[in-house]
Amino acid sequence: MRSHKVIEIRNLTPSTYIIKMEKKDFTFKTGQYITLGFSGSIDRREYSIYSSEQDKFLEVLIKEVEDGLVSKKLKRCKPGDYLDVDGPFGHFSLKEDEISKKKFLFIATGTGISPIHSFIATHPNMDYQLLHGVRKEEEAYERESYQNNNYILCTSRENSGDFYGRVTEYLKQNPVPSDTVCYLCGNCHMIYEAYDILEKQGINLGPIHTEVYF
Amino acid sequence: MKKVAFKTLGCRLNQYETDAIASQFQDNGFKLVPFDKEADVYVINSCTVTHQSDHKSRNFISQANRKNPDSVLVVTGCMANNAKTELEGRNEINYVVENDHKSSVYSLVEAHYNGEIFHPSKINSDLFSYGSTDKGFHTRSMVKIQDGCDNFCTFCIIPSVRGRAVSRPIQDILDNVKNVVKNGAKEVVLTGVNIGRYEYESYKFDDVVEQILDLEGDFRLRISSIEPDGFGNKFLGLLNHPKMTPHLHLCLQSGSDPILLKMRRMYNIKRFKEIVNKVRSVRADFNITTDIIIGFPDESDQDFESTCNIIKDLQFGHVHAFKYSIRKGTRAERMPAQVDERIKTQRSEVLREIADDVKFQYRKQFIGKEQIVLVEKTDGKNAKGYGEHYVPVVFEGCELKRNHFYKVKIKEITKDTDPVLIGEQVK
Repeated sequence: MRSHKVIEIRNLTPSTYIIKMEKKDFTFKTGQYITLGFSGSIDRREYSIYSSEQDKFLEVLIKEVEDGLVSKKLKRCKPGDYLDVDGPFGHFSLKEDEISKKKFLFIATGTGISPIHSFIATHPNMDYQLLHGVRKEEEAYERESYQNNNYILCTSRENSGDFYGRVTEYLKQNPVPSDTVCYLCGNCHMIYEAYDILEKQGINLGPIHTEVYF
Repeated sequence: MKKVAFKTLGCRLNQYETDAIASQFQDNGFKLVPFDKEADVYVINSCTVTHQSDHKSRNFISQANRKNPDSVLVVTGCMANNAKTELEGRNEINYVVENDHKSSVYSLVEAHYNGEIFHPSKINSDLFSYGSTDKGFHTRSMVKIQDGCDNFCTFCIIPSVRGRAVSRPIQDILDNVKNVVKNGAKEVVLTGVNIGRYEYESYKFDDVVEQILDLEGDFRLRISSIEPDGFGNKFLGLLNHPKMTPHLHLCLQSGSDPILLKMRRMYNIKRFKEIVNKVRSVRADFNITTDIIIGFPDESDQDFESTCNIIKDLQFGHVHAFKYSIRKGTRAERMPAQVDERIKTQRSEVLREIADDVKFQYRKQFIGKEQIVLVEKTDGKNAKGYGEHYVPVVFEGCELKRNHFYKVKIKEITKDTDPVLIGEQVK
């Protein structure tokens, strides 16, 4: 466990924010997550890393959970505070030999976009399409980070994105070529449904990678 | 001569570690006695994977103290990590030794008798420095290849108490196997917390298995518990090696995809079935045993039914089922829709009946066939041991010896909850 100084808090919506911390000698594989908590506190939560492998800082994207213990406290942290970082953990990773050769489909809901952001920031030249499912347009967290034509915002509560409806509905209407490598990150329900749809469209089990968010 | 007694709870890795510690005590002149007898030293190698294991560990602590209040009482294992403060506050316990110092339990007790009192945290910390297990409790020789786990399944406390995944250097493993085989071991069992994720330098789990299988000697290799996500086709290709036993304990946990996602398992039912089918295409009677958690948060009747169906479908040779219990600090602790205890109990009864039936059907197929049995207990004429499929066998023969292989023709099967094959020696 290492202590990392907070550099900046970036509020994206009233409930979603990014904590930027010093990186020190921390290394990770894009797609992995860390556990985070205030120095000395036993209360910790898992967050996927938002920043890229080569960034000189470490970032996590956090949604404040109603009645949540840690996400509420973390939102109040200030530059100069210290947070304990443990990790990296997880196997939600790109395969080195596929990065420059394959076409990727990333499907994320809400803050599940965090490891996808890290993938794309680490490998900006990869051939990808990103489906981001949110309720409202304001949750299109830093969409300017992605190449415009590759990012499709699916909004389910208002007709303000690129597609009005859930990502699963978009998938049904826009079948995916069977040689696509798919990464799914978000809530259980989306992963379960999207997995089914992709399989029916001929994507084999091997190229589908999932990371569940709660 | 001083007497030492051990109680081991939980996984095969704990059993291995107890075997190694017990051998060390015996090598240094201690007499091993059953846990319910009076001893000078009691070692409880605890488990904390469920509420029930915590409860059992506490009972054994009280039992040891009742037998001999003046004994040196050592509590180690996962509960020692998870409930350290509570255990250190109990006067009857002399030492609470966390997992990473467990291999030094003997040194601690030796120092105690020499009048040197160390805090366990001051002694040697090494996950792989256990000695041999030749004087332990098991005929099978367990070899530890890995410790810890990074999977962070939402129900599991193990990453917190066993720590990050660490793999033992491959050459140490091979030397260990050569050594136990040289000392007479006939069956080597690989142990660890998540052995499929073995990774040391460029070596993966299948490389370790391949190199062990290539070693000379009259022994067979058993893979213990393995997660379905950590190995590939190379490993599956090794399953028909003559030294490999046809048994895998593949942890399923649930037969429902939505529940597997909530558990953060890294496979789905389709993938699990594919693995089982591939394994059974190597050998149709391959014994696949599994773990099932009953009553994980939000498990519906339909989810549970899916679990029952897959048990029937895949014909597991044994199902180790246990009721979900909240482990503090895990993600599932904070999940809504915790399942009522009464429902968990009802589901356990239903599942147990199905699992018993499937186990009986699986084992029954061996009647009329032969098994190579490694004898664990014998009086010379009657023997008990396990066949290559890890099914218990009793048989009659002549001049039978412990730790020897015998070819046995299976004649019948007992009809209890753990059916035993009955056979006779083939000469």
